Amino acid sequence: MIHLRNVSYAYEGCEALCAIDLDISRGESVAFIGPNGSGKSTLLKLLNAIVLPDNGSYVFDGESVTRTSLKDQTFARSFHQRIGFLFQNPEAQLFCPSVEEEISFGPRQMGCAEEVVAGRIEDCLKLLDIAHLAKRPPWHLSGGEKRKVALASILALNPEVLVLDEPMNDLDPRTKRFLRELILSLHGAGKTIICATHDFRYVEGVFKRAVVFSEDHRIIREGAYDEVTSDEVFLASDNLI
Amino acid sequence: MTPEWLLKNEAYTPRLDRDAFIDKSIRTFLSLLSRIRSRTGGAQRKAFIDARVKLVSLLLLILLTSLSHRLLFVGLCGTIVLVTLSLSRGEVILDILKTAFAVAGFTFVIFLPSIFWGNLVGAVMVTAKVLICVAVARFLSATTEWRTLTRALGAFRIPDLLILVLDVTLRYITLLGALSLDMLYALKLRSVGKNRDKTGSLSGIAGTIFLKSRVMAEDTYAAMECRCFTGTYRAGRLPALRLTDALVLAADVAFVCAFGFLGA
Repeated sequence: MIHLRNVSYAYEGCEALCAIDLDISRGESVAFIGPNGSGKSTLLKLLNAIVLPDNGSYVFDGESVTRTSLKDQTFARSFHQRIGFLFQNPEAQLFCPSVEEEISFGPRQMGCAEEVVAGRIEDCLKLLDIAHLAKRPPWHLSGGEKRKVALASILALNPEVLVLDEPMNDLDPRTKRFLRELILSLHGAGKTIICATHDFRYVEGVFKRAVVFSEDHRIIREGAYDEVTSDEVFLASDNLI
Repeated sequence: MTPEWLLKNEAYTPRLDRDAFIDKSIRTFLSLLSRIRSRTGGAQRKAFIDARVKLVSLLLLILLTSLSHRLLFVGLCGTIVLVTLSLSRGEVILDILKTAFAVAGFTFVIFLPSIFWGNLVGAVMVTAKVLICVAVARFLSATTEWRTLTRALGAFRIPDLLILVLDVTLRYITLLGALSLDMLYALKLRSVGKNRDKTGSLSGIAGTIFLKSRVMAEDTYAAMECRCFTGTYRAGRLPALRLTDALVLAADVAFVCAFGFLGA
């Protein structure tokens, strides 16, 4: 479903990704692991076409994602509907006056009937266990609640691929466990999950594959998640434990 | 339990909508942040001329250009500005001249009626003065790291606390700019169809940024208090002047003399 070939990207001359080759199939659950500044978040942005490769190619479900292809509104919007992105800082994703409106923003844009929108709001509130927050302004919520609302607002679009950037950051253990179960059930529902993480303990059993980044912004290892995360010598050498 | 609609793929054909405003806003913020980073990054080469000397020379040039009544002296100032600009990189020169000519052009248009009444020299003089002053101010801003520029204000007896406020302001423009950019990206990613309330989305972003700035200001104040801030602040000082700075100051003196002979 996702194919990256020899992808490189630099921020104003500062290298962030170097010669990345990666294939992700439909329905996979993949964890990106790597030290701070290794390029995980940049790759997630690239998968969502927030940034585009300086070199190399990105193909999503058989279609090249390029500056030119994104100028085609139909392609760009369909692409953004099919791939949902939870930012590392969920605060940046919340711009509506209430949680309810935040969740309804996407479905309303898609032209869903009002009863469908109402149904999705209710389902997402229930799924994320935030029904009691429906009328609250997102700004006044706690960090964990904001993350749940941001995730709900993405799920309301029903994307096929969920891209999560450090979803366990700043969460208390109970919320981490809740989020772990939720990711598992979304994966069970057929969603492709791509997630950058440091938090090995709370994502145990969630991912089938791990992709490891080095400090020089390259992929240095790919393999079964359990196998990679149990190789303590390797993790220590890459500044991961 | 996972709702049924989440188990199926969405059969969705996007409707067309005009959303150039998001892309334009993103481009504006990217360019703003890139400019700020390039002038506050700290990875720049060591400055050839001290910021204090640059500031003195800039103020002298603006003051004497404005005071002069002689086209010859204004021409000399223009020549000095051109020679100074020629020491910069091509893109910096282009950037400076674009702004300077835009402002000067606007000034000239304002003076058009006076030209029709026969005041051609006056209109040309004022336009040239504006061109010189804007170019030299943009040159200072483009070639001096902003942090050293705020430090240089200390040489003019500007209170340290005001320098701190300027430094904090620059930092928060960067931080809040980055947050605004992320929010615009989030809006773009979720703009998958027809948005009937585009202004509502943008005002939501503006409101969030406003609230965030208030929280950040409170947090900064609390952090300063925790580090024993009692209302006084001593800004870091710039290093001693060097030979090149002395040469520029000597040129400034020569420039003042030239004003005495040619300009007054």
